[in-house]
Amino acid sequence: MNKEKPSRSGSKIFWRSLEEKAQATSTEVGSDVVKATIGLGELNRLNRRNFLTLSGAIGTLAGIEGCIRRPAEKILPYSQTPADVNPGEALHYATVLRRREESVGILATCYEGRPTKLEGNPDHPTSQGGTDLLLQAEILELYDPDRARTPSKGGIEKSYAAFDAMLDDELGRLLGKRGAGLRILSQPTNSPSFMRLRQRVMQRFPEARFHNYAPVNDDNVRAGTSAAFGRPLEVLPRFDQAKVVLALDSDFLMTETGAVQAARQFGAKRHLDSAAGEMNRLYAVEPSLSVTGSNADHRLRLKASAIGEYLKGLAAELAAAGVPIPGLDAAVRGAKVEGIPETWLKAVAKELASHRGESLVVVGSRQPAAVHGLAHAINRALGNSGRTVSYTAPADAGARPSLEDIKALTADMVAGKVDTLIILGGNPVYDAPADLGFGEALNKVNISLAVTSHRNETADRTDWHLPRAHELESWGDQLSRAGRYAIQQPLIAALFDSRSDLDVLAALAASEQRGQALVRETAGERGIAEELAWQHLVQKGADERDAAQIFGGLPIQAGSLAQVLSAPAGGGEGLEAVFLTDNKLFDGRYTNNTWLLELPDPMTRITWDNAALLSPAGAKGLGVNNGDMVRVSAGDASVEMAAWIQPGMADGTVGLPLGWGRRKGGSNFHGAGFDVYPLRKSDAADIVQNVTVEKIRGSYSLSQTQDHDSMEGRPLAVDATLQEYRETPNFGQFASPDMSAGPLWQTQDYSQGQQWGMVIDLNGCIGCSACAVACQAENNVPVVGKEQVAKGREMHWLRLDRYYVGEDENEPEVAYQPIGCQHCEEAPCENVCPVNATSHSPEGLNDIAYNRCIGTRYCMNNCPYKVRRFNFLNFNLDIPETRQMQHNPSVTVRFRGVIEKCSYCVQRIQGARIVASREGREIADGDVVAACQQACPTGAIAFGNINDPNSAVSAKREVDRNYGLLSDVGTRPRTRFLGKIRNPNPEMKG
Amino acid sequence: MSAASTPIAAIGETRLLPEHVDNALISEQVSRVTETEAPLGWWIYFGISLMGLGVLGVSVSYLFWEGIGAWGNNSPAGWAWDITNFVWWIGIGHAGTLISAILFLFRQRWRTSVNRFAEAMTIFAVICALLFPSIHVGRPWHIYYTLPLPNQMWMWPNFKSPLLWDVFAVSTYFTVSLLFWYVGLIPDLATVRDRAKSLTRKRAYGAFALGWRGSNRHWRNYERAYLILAALSTPLVLSVHSVVSFDFATSVMPGWHTTIFPPYFVAGAVFSGFAMVMTLMIIARQVYDLKDLMTMKHLENMNKIMLVTGSLVGYAYSMEFFIAWYSGNEYERYVFINRATGPYWWAYWWMVTCNVISPQLFWFKRCRTSIPIMFAISILINIGMWFERFVIIVTSLHRDYLPSSWGYFSPTIVDIGCFVGSLGLFFTAFALFIRWLPQIAMFEVKAIVPGSQPSHHGPSHHEAPAGAPALATKEA
Repeated sequence: MNKEKPSRSGSKIFWRSLEEKAQATSTEVGSDVVKATIGLGELNRLNRRNFLTLSGAIGTLAGIEGCIRRPAEKILPYSQTPADVNPGEALHYATVLRRREESVGILATCYEGRPTKLEGNPDHPTSQGGTDLLLQAEILELYDPDRARTPSKGGIEKSYAAFDAMLDDELGRLLGKRGAGLRILSQPTNSPSFMRLRQRVMQRFPEARFHNYAPVNDDNVRAGTSAAFGRPLEVLPRFDQAKVVLALDSDFLMTETGAVQAARQFGAKRHLDSAAGEMNRLYAVEPSLSVTGSNADHRLRLKASAIGEYLKGLAAELAAAGVPIPGLDAAVRGAKVEGIPETWLKAVAKELASHRGESLVVVGSRQPAAVHGLAHAINRALGNSGRTVSYTAPADAGARPSLEDIKALTADMVAGKVDTLIILGGNPVYDAPADLGFGEALNKVNISLAVTSHRNETADRTDWHLPRAHELESWGDQLSRAGRYAIQQPLIAALFDSRSDLDVLAALAASEQRGQALVRETAGERGIAEELAWQHLVQKGADERDAAQIFGGLPIQAGSLAQVLSAPAGGGEGLEAVFLTDNKLFDGRYTNNTWLLELPDPMTRITWDNAALLSPAGAKGLGVNNGDMVRVSAGDASVEMAAWIQPGMADGTVGLPLGWGRRKGGSNFHGAGFDVYPLRKSDAADIVQNVTVEKIRGSYSLSQTQDHDSMEGRPLAVDATLQEYRETPNFGQFASPDMSAGPLWQTQDYSQGQQWGMVIDLNGCIGCSACAVACQAENNVPVVGKEQVAKGREMHWLRLDRYYVGEDENEPEVAYQPIGCQHCEEAPCENVCPVNATSHSPEGLNDIAYNRCIGTRYCMNNCPYKVRRFNFLNFNLDIPETRQMQHNPSVTVRFRGVIEKCSYCVQRIQGARIVASREGREIADGDVVAACQQACPTGAIAFGNINDPNSAVSAKREVDRNYGLLSDVGTRPRTRFLGKIRNPNPEMKG
Repeated sequence: MSAASTPIAAIGETRLLPEHVDNALISEQVSRVTETEAPLGWWIYFGISLMGLGVLGVSVSYLFWEGIGAWGNNSPAGWAWDITNFVWWIGIGHAGTLISAILFLFRQRWRTSVNRFAEAMTIFAVICALLFPSIHVGRPWHIYYTLPLPNQMWMWPNFKSPLLWDVFAVSTYFTVSLLFWYVGLIPDLATVRDRAKSLTRKRAYGAFALGWRGSNRHWRNYERAYLILAALSTPLVLSVHSVVSFDFATSVMPGWHTTIFPPYFVAGAVFSGFAMVMTLMIIARQVYDLKDLMTMKHLENMNKIMLVTGSLVGYAYSMEFFIAWYSGNEYERYVFINRATGPYWWAYWWMVTCNVISPQLFWFKRCRTSIPIMFAISILINIGMWFERFVIIVTSLHRDYLPSSWGYFSPTIVDIGCFVGSLGLFFTAFALFIRWLPQIAMFEVKAIVPGSQPSHHGPSHHEAPAGAPALATKEA
């Protein structure tokens, strides 16, 4: 280009290779930048000062390029700057994501067009600003470098042109047959656009059929409402209205549908601002210790198959307590309740009976329809219907139950009735019931196509595979169970050449529309046709109101319900297995997500693996220790896996977490966990009777982040009963008193200016771990891998300590304690750093200057809370490009050899400060929201300026049950805890 | 027996050297080691040491390449073998200065046979000790941040940090020890130079002898300088290990946060230093046949010191336990119960067996004067003192305040490589020292040969002039 020309800036051209010299040197680009900043007009009036500035800058730029080897990069400025995009400034967009059968409103943080973090949308009722673990981890799914990038046929990459030609061909052939033999398998949907397009496809191919399947589904819930009310319905519990909750095998805080909203509502009933406050009481009956069970005030471990009998027994007791259940007297009589403590029948019945209209019985999706049906009848008898629980029609009213549908589809496939099968999302080869033989049945299909994000087990067996767009990069819409209509807008252009479900359906329907046009047309049909209204909807993310008809008191169809109830319960004396929706990987769709893989399971604290969960007695009977290999057999299928002794498991039960042991479609999960789907049959998809567990040779190494479950009697996660709290409101201070003696040196005056502090209400913490992943996403916390976790080198800035309380390993009480940096006012870490790399800010933050840190690890040793993390290796080496896009640009990515830890999200404080100073005001309370605080679905974390007497955090610090962790060491922690309150029923004793 | 020995016995003194030892024999025996071909034993010893040094090179290179993760360190055990080795080596480095300075000031003339040896050992041990803090940091290329270098950021090291005190204490100690050693070497270097046959030897030794001619003025200056350095070193003997102990004592960790550490560490340091000197001396004595100069009397005296210091650390161990109980601090109590009965119980009992029990054999003169027994015990003490540091560092850290963060440390091959390699470095340096430098202070030993001290009282009094006793008295 300008080989001969001297550079415009007048400096020499620097080059390292002839190719480079031939190109315009980037030195010039650099000088352009300088020019741009000074302004061309000014250049003409060069005075001495400007000249020096300019030549200095040019010299530096040229010098830097001469010294540092870096790959040549093109710097291309925007030819037209997009509106509102300022480099380094975050923008937030509303969208919606699906969690199980519920849609959850999301606010995505984007930098220069890259979404980096997801938060709950405060305006969306199912979120109210909260999120859960999986929603926090969802952003990593978007940037997963293992996602498929091109269409492929038989594993060989193909172009879209080839694919489209094949599809046209195929559709042309099918048109002739009116679509006979065309089957489309999707996941259960709540998208109006999907349903509309489905209609269009059906119009074009009247003989085609749609199927839906999800391995973790609400089939039983709908079957339960069918039994009770005669029609499938969604159940909408209102935990914020219930003073007494009885959860039957229901992990409503973690894995059931609508968990985010449930946690918010449940948390609201456990807020205590003073000892005079009231809180709810939770009874849990379950086979395996779930997050919900760990939060229960009373928990009964019971085999899953016995829970129906328990509920019958309870119904009988309720009748005796004056709450008859019309038409079901006979059905509930004579329940097999031997072995169940008397109090669990009588005292619970009494409690429920005395809380009519403000109690709630919820049943988990694992339980059969009869249990659900009876619970509805009990709720109605207690007058809870319409108060603490209501019902709506499902968004996809005609959908058949998942299990039934996949059975029908597979049967047709085997019978050769399926010509063309299109699989939209999901992974049926991996997760369909094993006895169906979905994978083999695929061979009988003429042409099969999987549209999945990864080339997973299913895509591996289909003829064609098409990359599926992630929800964050494609248009869509969703209805919440209560009918809130929300728009899913893409936050980034599709990273790879992928298609969304809607695009595929549009192609099938021969529609020319794609993406936004499809969704917009649906919106138009729903009455949002005007541009302004549409924009408002997209901006807000969701409609202003719930559209679905809410049913309160529906009449119970006692006759048919009694019939369902009279069917014999399946439970026998033999060992039974329950399939557990995994706390982290759900059904296996998140199995390539390293944040989730590395996150310790909330209960077992195992990372990177699952295990067969056995009760202590069960394990003893088998002679099995943690990590020993066992063979779990059900019928003709068996799985060899590691065993884990889980306190609180029901005897005679083995818990099998789903979603692990994947084989195809990712590079992160290899060797992670054991696949238990082979044991899952279509007639026993939730509970399997008569399984055998036998010890086999060998053991397996499981990595835990916490291998000690006891608090050793130390006052760490301090708790008390409500009764004790009322007697001694400041019990926290009693257990962990603040030190009155000062240090030897002059203390800092923290009474001035903004002083940041945090209060964590242990009563609100349910242990869901959303905060831990939120912190990881916000602060670019690296993942280290199973081996490094085993060595004790995990990097989580915020960890969730889980302790078992009490002597009985079968009935443990659980205490959770989120631990990040406590930002001690007298920080032991600061004194010992030889190079002053960690020191206190005037605002009370314990800061680290990574550039100054030389990595002596002395601070880490001297931290009583062990929150300081050391980069033992270069954990951020070779990060794939797409993965890098998730990184928060406001947070340094740390190199090996330096210490890091929770910073109280100092980047958010600084961001709020910039905004406030631009607006000429002080930072107001609520301007700074820490990532953990924002993610917490129960609102257990408060953060802000403790010098502002009106701030939320100051109010929390005034709550009587506050204490500082290990305050007696003299650290004066800025993070304070509010002691956990348990609310046991005095009548449950004995 | 010559007539000269009669009055010595009469006044209750014993000879430090056999009677046949005279100045010529001393010069010959010590200097010839540097002048003749090294014996096969030396080559074997040197070869093995060099291999160890190679292991160090490989291990440290790998460590720098991979990061600290190449070791087994983790959270909660941020420090493990790295600082264990550091403290162990620093402790070993104590004997040299103690023997040179404190025994010199106390006029313990038996020290003359062993001081050079011990000082050399100190230098090399401190080099090994300095190695570990330097390589244990996450970013060793920034280690100079610990030095108070003026910079445009006005960023100083943190003077509150015991690690910084370490930097000063250890580097001071190293500097003073090196000077002390070198100053003491000058007259002997001149002797070797004077005996040299080849020009190269003359030049090399001559350069380091700094033109020493043995004039009266030289000796006067020398004596003054040596005395001053001895006076400077004496407080260092106490301060260095006290400062090292502050790394632990000033922290808030249970098991570390204790006021007993400074004296306990100093006693331990002397203990381990003497053990290491003993190990090396016995080897050198056998290999080079220096039994005339390093007599059983020397060895026995050293064994007595080991008995005292060993009992002192035993007292410290038990006092720690008592205070842990007496304090009523549950964290402190747990740490000590965990030491003796927890996952690292074996390390604790190794420590107790080696450090407290084995030196008790020295109550018996038979054991005190048996070369095999004292050699074995000196090795045991070296092992035991390593375990002591391991116990203090790792067992305190691995289970501290929050049980949720408890962990377990296991060393990796690189941990072992660095430790073995540091031994290689030490022994390589030592091999070169005994090969090329006079390993016994010739001129000092000559000063305790009967007849070497000037006297005008006639032959019967010349051995014991007032003020400069040529012989060790039993009382001293």
